[in-house]
Amino acid sequence: MKLPRFFGKKRGHRRTGSQAWGSFGEGLFYCGLLVIGLIFAGLLLSGLAVPEWRSGHNFIQTRCTVVGKGLSRHTVINAQGTSVQQWQPCLRVRYQALQLTRDSWSKPLRGGMLSDRPAALKQLAAWRLGEELTCWYDPADSQNVVLERGYNWWMWSMALVLPSVLIIFGGSGLMRAVRVWGKSEERRAASAGLPELFESTDYSPAEAPGYPGVPTCDDLINSPGTILRYRLPVESPESWTLLGFGLFAILWNAVVAVLAVGAGLDLLGGHIDWLLFALLVPFVAVGIASISIFLRSLVLASAVGTSQLEISDHPLRPGQRYDVLLGQGGSGTFRTLKLYLEAEEQATFRQGTDTRTERLIVWSRQIMEWKDMQLTPGIRFETRVSIDIPVDAMHSLTSEHNAVSWRIVVQGTPERWPSFTRIFPVVIFPSADNRLLPLEKRSTPNQELTP
Amino acid sequence: MNTMNSTNTMHTTNTTSNGVMPCRDFFDSRHFANPFSTRFTRPGKIEPRDCSGQPLAILQLLKQLHDCGGTAAIQGPHGSGKTTLLVHIAGELQQRGGLAASLRLRSWQDAPAVFFAIVRSRPGSTVCLDSWEKIGCIAGWLVRMAARIFQCGLLVTSHRRTGLPVLVESATTRELLASIVCQLPDHSRWSSSLIKESDIEEAFSKCGGNVRESLYELYDRFEHRRPLL
Amino acid sequence: MSSAREVIRDSPNVIVRFNEPHRIYQPRAALILRYSIEGIDNEKVRAVERSVLWYTEGKGEEDLGVHFFERLSDRSKPTPALTAGSFSTQLPFSPLSYEGVIVKVRWCVRVRIFFEGSRDFVSEHVFEMGQIPPANTGGGRLP
Repeated sequence: MKLPRFFGKKRGHRRTGSQAWGSFGEGLFYCGLLVIGLIFAGLLLSGLAVPEWRSGHNFIQTRCTVVGKGLSRHTVINAQGTSVQQWQPCLRVRYQALQLTRDSWSKPLRGGMLSDRPAALKQLAAWRLGEELTCWYDPADSQNVVLERGYNWWMWSMALVLPSVLIIFGGSGLMRAVRVWGKSEERRAASAGLPELFESTDYSPAEAPGYPGVPTCDDLINSPGTILRYRLPVESPESWTLLGFGLFAILWNAVVAVLAVGAGLDLLGGHIDWLLFALLVPFVAVGIASISIFLRSLVLASAVGTSQLEISDHPLRPGQRYDVLLGQGGSGTFRTLKLYLEAEEQATFRQGTDTRTERLIVWSRQIMEWKDMQLTPGIRFETRVSIDIPVDAMHSLTSEHNAVSWRIVVQGTPERWPSFTRIFPVVIFPSADNRLLPLEKRSTPNQELTP
Repeated sequence: MNTMNSTNTMHTTNTTSNGVMPCRDFFDSRHFANPFSTRFTRPGKIEPRDCSGQPLAILQLLKQLHDCGGTAAIQGPHGSGKTTLLVHIAGELQQRGGLAASLRLRSWQDAPAVFFAIVRSRPGSTVCLDSWEKIGCIAGWLVRMAARIFQCGLLVTSHRRTGLPVLVESATTRELLASIVCQLPDHSRWSSSLIKESDIEEAFSKCGGNVRESLYELYDRFEHRRPLL
Repeated sequence: MSSAREVIRDSPNVIVRFNEPHRIYQPRAALILRYSIEGIDNEKVRAVERSVLWYTEGKGEEDLGVHFFERLSDRSKPTPALTAGSFSTQLPFSPLSYEGVIVKVRWCVRVRIFFEGSRDFVSEHVFEMGQIPPANTGGGRLP
């Protein structure tokens, strides 16, 4: 009799042992992580975070008198594995709580534990016997009193972040294991389309409802145009690039400034830190380069201006005609300004241990070209053209590793500045007319690729 | 070995799917599949070969692995067929009941999955790991210790020295690429017209001896010349 | 995994007949299929899965989308009924079959037979949906 093996598919397309038992084993593993995370979270919250929260919200404020001082001794194991003693200052206070006089040792004061007893005594000497202080006591246990309130955010972060990681990792893995329990490839792919209680943790590109494999175009039609129906967003807006350059230049040069100030102060003090100076040289070089790149990009963006595209309808359909409004800002002369419609294939594959995406433009048609345009600062160049989508155009396609993307491309060559290319993604849906073309009437493979 | 036996008629050839690719039929030349597509060339779909293009004796390698104590490495440059060989050996181990798990490593963060696989493995079984260099020195050392404790073998691929006994030192050669090309679907149909020996030579030289890159290059050439079919 | 040259004993043969003789369908058309599995021992068949799916082919990793899936096991049907049958489905709007350069989309029917034990057998039959002409490489890029 074959004993069940508690393992199964883990990565890629390799399968080992029994699929069902493998999924069960995988589920046990993630369940274990989830349980550990929950226990960890519970312990941290109940032991650390909750008492702190209670002292901040439920404790009652009163006045107390210091009637005693002492050091709380703790034995800890250090990094070398030996046990060492640490000392924490504590105060004994007298206060009125629930019509009773109480003498209690307060919770250890913040400042942490000290391994040096004289230092701890020195800290304790800051308080005097008979000194009056403000304190807070627990109405549920009036012996419990604290002299400090507030939140240790570091502790709260530790209490929430670390267990959360285990809970999220364990929980999502468990959901995934339950979902793929012992199913064949087709069954798993089929059930992904059925109503599911849990979201798949694998990457699935958003598809248009009713059109499997066709990307949704919600992001492309959420901006109304001023004249035509929609304003298309540009892919990888240069403003973000500019912002990125600017942030990098600021942060980098801030670090350089700190280093430079430190080196300068050392120099003024008569001490030269050669290592710091050696480090400063490449940092300053990169800082200067980042500023010049940012300034150049800024000048380029303001000189060339932005491109805007509006379209009369979206998504697009094969065989249909659409109006497009092109707006171009900037100043000076543009040698050429071109408008293209292109289709690009994208294929993602493994290259050794890395992943690479290859792109190939398989169809391109120039819609319009303008030559020797003179742009006036403050006045946008605007023009309206028509785009015909080929009747046998392949619709936009999206899947995990492959895609067919359509886009309208604006390509400009200013006279005194580098040329630019701005891409406006569009989505083409399958034709609404399902009529099959006779084979002999179908267009020949597209030869319209033009530079 | 996973090859496609297909024709361009309505007839369909069927095969078992114990790692063997399903066969398809093609009903006209327009749909003739590019034999260099990823689905025909990815690890597991091609029979592993040595640098002279001869098939590797998997059973002999299994014996050598056993003689090494169950732990060894398949070393070689990128695109030399390490993963392909690992997948085939893992398949043989699975059929013999000696495979604990097979994983592709992306970073040291995959170490917990490896530990779990080792812990739940049966003594004497083997864990197959692809891209051993990704796991890092410390995690790698811990994994080896765990494997030793739980009496589990490790068979890894790496393009760097691992310190493990070397089961196979793979290399990329023109003969290897040529022998892989011969295994691809419908080779006899397109080898004389679309992709010739000179193409294989040129692709190998252009891609610096990387067999995988050479296959991608040949994919492009096949697509470009497809109307000649 | 078995060797390419290994002789496979008792290999089944799946005969499939499409309602469209040229196997070219338009979106939303009805796909009607009849199949029969020959060359097997009926008592050993545990289950049969019938699926209509599309997959990508080309340079990228293979993606899969299942449009229709049905599993017949010997609990629900008598064994001889597993080895022959028919099914139909209305094809979706997309994705259309596409012969790109580095991305291709193909539609097919798969019949997967599960035998007693862990062996399974799959037969795949391609058909076309839509009539998108092949893309070209654009020239100038490839030798």
